[in-house]
Amino acid sequence: MSHLPGRRLFRFPWRTAAQVAADVDTELDFHLELVARELMDEGWPAEAAGSEARRRFGDLEATRRICRDLDSRKETRMKWMDSFGELGQDLRFAGRQLAKSPGFTLVAILTLALGIGATTAIFSVVYGVLLRPLPYPQPERLVRAFAVGPAGQLHGAFSPPNLLDYRAASRALSGLSGYHGGTLNLSGDGSEAERLPTSWVSANFFSVLGTKPLAGRTFAPGEDRPGAPRVAILSEEIWRRRFGGDRQVVGRSLTLSGDPYQVIGVLRHGERFPFSTDVWVPLVFSPTELAQRGAVFLGALGRMAPGATLKGVQAEAGVVGHRLRDQFPADNKGYIDSLTVVPMLERVVGDTRKPLLVLLGAVSFVLLIACSNVANLLLVRAAAREGEIVIRAALGAGRARIVRQLLTESLVLALLGGAAGVGLAAWALKLLVSAGPQGIPRLSEIGLDGVALAFALGIALATGVLFGLAPALQTSRTDLAAAIREGSRGSKGRGGTRARSVLVVVETALAVVLLAGAGLLIRSFLELQHVDPGFKPEGVVTFNVELPTSQYSDEAKLRSVTAALLERMQRLPQVSAAGVTVYGMPFAGGVNMLTFTVAGWPPSEPGKAPVLRVAAVTPDYFKTLGIPLVKGRALNPRDRQGAPRVVLLNAAAVRKYFPNEDPLGKQIAFGLADAKGDIPGGEVVGVVADFKQDALDQEVEPQVFQAYDQVPQQSLSVVVRSSSPQSPGMLAAAIKQQVRELDPNLPLFGLQPMTEVVAGSTSQSRFYMVLLGGFAFVSLILAAIGIYGVIAYAVRQRSQEIGIRMALGASREKVVRMVVGQGLALAVAGAVAGLLGALVATRGLRSLLYEVSASDPAIYAGVAALLVLVAAVASWLPARRAATTDPQLVLRGEA
Amino acid sequence: MPKTTSLELMQGTVAVLILKTLSWGALHGYDISRSIRQRSDGALGVEDAALYQALHRLERKGWIEAEWGLSENNRRAKFYRLTGEGRQALQTELTIWSRYVDAVSKVLETRPAAS
Repeated sequence: MSHLPGRRLFRFPWRTAAQVAADVDTELDFHLELVARELMDEGWPAEAAGSEARRRFGDLEATRRICRDLDSRKETRMKWMDSFGELGQDLRFAGRQLAKSPGFTLVAILTLALGIGATTAIFSVVYGVLLRPLPYPQPERLVRAFAVGPAGQLHGAFSPPNLLDYRAASRALSGLSGYHGGTLNLSGDGSEAERLPTSWVSANFFSVLGTKPLAGRTFAPGEDRPGAPRVAILSEEIWRRRFGGDRQVVGRSLTLSGDPYQVIGVLRHGERFPFSTDVWVPLVFSPTELAQRGAVFLGALGRMAPGATLKGVQAEAGVVGHRLRDQFPADNKGYIDSLTVVPMLERVVGDTRKPLLVLLGAVSFVLLIACSNVANLLLVRAAAREGEIVIRAALGAGRARIVRQLLTESLVLALLGGAAGVGLAAWALKLLVSAGPQGIPRLSEIGLDGVALAFALGIALATGVLFGLAPALQTSRTDLAAAIREGSRGSKGRGGTRARSVLVVVETALAVVLLAGAGLLIRSFLELQHVDPGFKPEGVVTFNVELPTSQYSDEAKLRSVTAALLERMQRLPQVSAAGVTVYGMPFAGGVNMLTFTVAGWPPSEPGKAPVLRVAAVTPDYFKTLGIPLVKGRALNPRDRQGAPRVVLLNAAAVRKYFPNEDPLGKQIAFGLADAKGDIPGGEVVGVVADFKQDALDQEVEPQVFQAYDQVPQQSLSVVVRSSSPQSPGMLAAAIKQQVRELDPNLPLFGLQPMTEVVAGSTSQSRFYMVLLGGFAFVSLILAAIGIYGVIAYAVRQRSQEIGIRMALGASREKVVRMVVGQGLALAVAGAVAGLLGALVATRGLRSLLYEVSASDPAIYAGVAALLVLVAAVASWLPARRAATTDPQLVLRGEA
Repeated sequence: MPKTTSLELMQGTVAVLILKTLSWGALHGYDISRSIRQRSDGALGVEDAALYQALHRLERKGWIEAEWGLSENNRRAKFYRLTGEGRQALQTELTIWSRYVDAVSKVLETRPAAS
């Protein structure tokens, strides 16, 4: 009855919606026509037969609609199933292909794991430190307030009256809170005495932050008024560590630096703003403090009022600032010209933003190099697989289908590399966090979280496409006719080689940029190592002791306990000298700056008074640290209370303030000239050599040293020199023992060899140097592998040509020179491009460099030379192999 | 086409009739309709609209598949054929159907007990 269609072997192309509709129409028309013909056979007239057929059909339009709908839905579902089927097919095929060449697969996966892992680790750090929101509600509305000085510099500190005036004047802030940091001694609760980082904060501090306590409550309004009961809030960290997470601690009384405080609450983990605080107590202003507008020591934290914008808050701060300047010129002139606010996160992060972004940039270079290396491998592989591709194309596979297959392969590679990379990143992060230097905020809170995993997945997919697409397009551009004509020899060897050469030049250039950056940091670090700190840290141990005011309430007690402490230190075996300082410890961070006047000098203009760092030392302090006396005499035990007050200057102070006169015998007084020097100074009796105060890479600032006995204070830094440097551990144990015997309630902290203090001061430089150096090293290796790969492949491709050359009399040396020359050409091109790039890119490093210019020619030359050397070795290996080919074999077509 | 009104068909019955008809070979819609009418001696007439909707529904279900071919008068026509799945479905439907018919017949043919 009908012609039977055969079974389907090939799938017909998918139908569009219009085609589906047309097919339904054709089918129904065909039916109606046959029915009409039947009716005509029965005797109906032609016109009537047609309409009768439609009448008998039933609801034609509804049927048409229903059939079209059913068909198009079926069509869609089949399309999907087919795509999934093809994806499965592609995946299985990709798996088989990769398993077939395990060497290639392993190298590619490892390369990608390195790139993706390093990038993910650094991204986690950058995200954790720079981007992750602060753990407070609406953190973007938190701002820190600053005073703007006349030269536009930001001062972080407010005096109590200025803070209160700003708070009273502000409408754009819903709250403004003052705070400052310090320490309190926790003792008398049965455990060992301990010094806890403490913050004094306004009562509204926690409502400004918007934080809710883990247990208990935060400060109530009014708890920062004079006479309010003493209350304290603990961090979860100290609550767990010291009190075992006991909720009964809330309500209990603790002795902090001799005073009883009632614990009213515990804050949540991670909420330790400011300064990794463990204890928060109310900031209570004394009448004296409220009267001193010039005494600046408070940080100011505010929350923007609902509806206020950052611009609005800043404008308001400016107005208030000008008013404070004009209303109180005596105290504010020269310090406050205006006020401003800065988003809190920006400020928390501060100086670490730039170096971290530099690292992120560097690591993305490593990732790009890894990508181009894998792309290179894929291109070489594609050339080897050309036969396979040609066959698939000849069998009817479309170009899109082939590209998709190849892309699936590279995505599988990328995802495997990404998975390995995440493992690598987890390990690297642990290392980074534990080896990370102090001073990078929030570093300890970093881990491999969901964001980092999503990031890793994202870059794995992106790199998969990035390194897979170009080779896939290149490979699939198969000219069938040409391929078949040329037999199995690559028909597109030339194009492929060009693409590979470009890739190698690019990755070499990136490697050069990284090497230049790393070179600069290494050079800068070495410079730092050669900086003479001005003292001899070897054999010296240092520690700190805080004498609680409650117990050592007057100067006599301070003098006697300090003397007793020093005597105990000197009695220890092998100890040759011991000294105490307050504010005079190198790299300790504490600074006490005072303006001063010299008898006989004209009074200085307001705001331009000379300043000195002020420290107190015991007579043997300089001897213990090995700091020589330059002039005059050292301090001695006779410079005690009651004797004429004496001071020493450092050489920097003499250079700056007494350039043309003898400082010995001058009378120094502290404070403003018109206040007639309200803090006692003394006569200059000697000058000591300079030593670095804050960091090795900073200039020595003018400093004055008072005799401790004449100005006894609470916060002692002790230095002890041991005559035999062996067993610092034993010395440490003996020191602890002595301090305990002296007073079991004295907390001793920061006990460490002086050499570690010096090393610690360069730990940030070392951190950035090691990371960037590591990236540069990896990129150099990858670039070398890239060059090797390209040259080795080119040599294989040209084996016939080389054989002919040798048969025609070319010497081995000539062949080697030719091949190595090819590799060097690539390297030189890459090096030139890279050096140009480095000139621009290393600008970002400038703030991290010490005594090295960002365009240091020696380093640039060294980097270029290193790269060319590595390239020479990488291309010499295949060149040697090329030179050993037997021309006979080649000519017979067997090599 | 006879003008006599055919028996009204229950929903679902059309599907079984189509499957059964196709079990003898591939047919286009018009032939399926004619075949059902002929085999029932004109007693069963499936409305064309219902027939085509059922055909497309069965095709979507995967019980039958379609192929474009040439009709005896050399016109492009859509031929339907039973799939393996459709053949199994037919078996199931037939079993259910004959059990149903048996049961209904038993009830309808039962005479009242002799009284």
